[in-house]
Amino acid sequence: MKKFSRIAIANRGEVAVRIIRACEEFGIETVLLHSEADVGTRAYRMATKKICIGPSSTSESYLNIESNIKGALAGGAEAIHPGFGFLSENADFAEACEKAGLVFIGPSSDSIRLLGDKISFKNLAKQANLPLIPGYEGDDQSLERLLSEVEKIGLPAIVKAAAGGGGRGMKLIKTIAEAAELIESSKREALSAFGSDKVFLEKYLGHAKHIEFQVFADSNGVVKHLFDRECSVQRRHQKIIEEAPSPSLTDELRRQMGEVACRVMALGKYRSAGTVEFLLHEGKFYLLEVNTRLQVEHPVTEEVLGVDLVKMQILAAQGEPVFQENQALAPRGHSIECRIYAENPFLGGVPSTGVLGKVIWPDGPGRRFEYGFEEGDEITSFYDPMISKVIVWDETRDRAIQKMKRVLKDSIIFGVYTNIPYLIEILSHPEFVQGTMTTQFIEKYFSAPLEKPELNAEEKMFVEAAMKIGLPFDGISSAKSPWQSFWKDK
Amino acid sequence: MSNTFQLIKGQLWIHFEGRTFIYEGENSQSAAIQSQSGEILSPMAGKVIKVSKSIGQTVKKGDLILVIEAMKMEYSLKANSVGIVEQIICQQGDQVELGKLLVKIKVEKK
Repeated sequence: MKKFSRIAIANRGEVAVRIIRACEEFGIETVLLHSEADVGTRAYRMATKKICIGPSSTSESYLNIESNIKGALAGGAEAIHPGFGFLSENADFAEACEKAGLVFIGPSSDSIRLLGDKISFKNLAKQANLPLIPGYEGDDQSLERLLSEVEKIGLPAIVKAAAGGGGRGMKLIKTIAEAAELIESSKREALSAFGSDKVFLEKYLGHAKHIEFQVFADSNGVVKHLFDRECSVQRRHQKIIEEAPSPSLTDELRRQMGEVACRVMALGKYRSAGTVEFLLHEGKFYLLEVNTRLQVEHPVTEEVLGVDLVKMQILAAQGEPVFQENQALAPRGHSIECRIYAENPFLGGVPSTGVLGKVIWPDGPGRRFEYGFEEGDEITSFYDPMISKVIVWDETRDRAIQKMKRVLKDSIIFGVYTNIPYLIEILSHPEFVQGTMTTQFIEKYFSAPLEKPELNAEEKMFVEAAMKIGLPFDGISSAKSPWQSFWKDK
Repeated sequence: MSNTFQLIKGQLWIHFEGRTFIYEGENSQSAAIQSQSGEILSPMAGKVIKVSKSIGQTVKKGDLILVIEAMKMEYSLKANSVGIVEQIICQQGDQVELGKLLVKIKVEKK
């Protein structure tokens, strides 16, 4: 296969930036396929070419297969990188790319159908005798049937979108009384986010750890796992903090799970980067699902292994070898990722939208910032609340935690509220520090909104007085206190 | 570590010793959420995707009134008091701004 000269990006935000960077380093041009709302974004400013594929609403732009294909062809791209979310796990999209003569940077449409469809995956794993969570994944999607299956499985149970990911459409059913409303809500969210309202049910395993294995399969069928990540810190089934390696695995468990992960991907004739997710419950592991795409949290694997997964995806899509001969894959040190969400932590995490003011990332060794928006860009209500990711690497887990806390304290985002204060609290919690947290960690310790930091009486007086007389507020101060500088700048 | 500040649309944003303080104006999210008067205000910019009650219906505190979608997540807005739905100032599909009055409930006196 020949090398690509131009790649289209069917995504937005920080992941679009991540892909553009990889392309730039390979000398490949990029075509950003964007919605009307996303003109004021960093990816838009960076891409070689930009093609508007539709209005703000995701169903008319980022989730529209035809518009994306047309855009990529019009932009003269030979391949499409779907990023994560949107159409990244949509087999019909991969197939449409294949038919249009565009290389889909990811697995084949057949592999996505086999592994990415959560129901087909469960059937495949069942046949191969791999460990699964008890549940219902039948074709009968009527509310009556789903309700009766919930009773059969026993409570608590979980309803999930068959085509889903990232916690969208996922609901925890604790009582029969609320089951119908939760199932319907799940179906609506699934339809809006993934274009399919098919759901399945699973027994809810309490106090489990979320562990996943990064797998990469090159075009020659060589399947290797790139070790584990732990993502137990989740809220509303949405990951918040991820790390590599997991602090919870023994060498033996790591070996066994890695083997199962590779087996699953080989069964699905997988190609490119993918992730096999597990729950670790009372020392036993269960297969959860396969994400047939790059993951949001891929950077922590990159940091501990010294690899570039996006470049590996591009190489594999070009039919080139990905693994070096005798390449030793062994994690070194520890990496943590924090997802920065535009939400108000003092009001229980409701979305916060608006135009960004100052944004300052405190860079330094072992600090990585993946962001898609800069000062003046608008964070709208149309898309995911994740506006950036902060990733750190250090020699030990303790030092990585220490570094992350410092970095978050020095990261400045004005204009929208973010979950940064909340992240700092989580990183300081003894259960997180010990590494014993489970997927119930947030619910257990952080269900109440954070206390809003208040200015003290003296500071308040300064601010009010200063606002009244209209001082030049725009500026960075080297003074010890901003209150001082209000008066100095006069 | 840098301390910095910026005035954005009447709100003062201050980053000081590792924390961000926001000196909010009147149209704040907390005011919209903590409304107790029987008025249901939109706590965020988003889209109304479901209106569960109609005018004249009796509601109790905690009853689902409508569902708003923002950033691909659904948020349920519930009745903040016992009463009768008096006015519905939005419909399914509407894009609404933070602080917009969506539903008015005539609060029942105890």
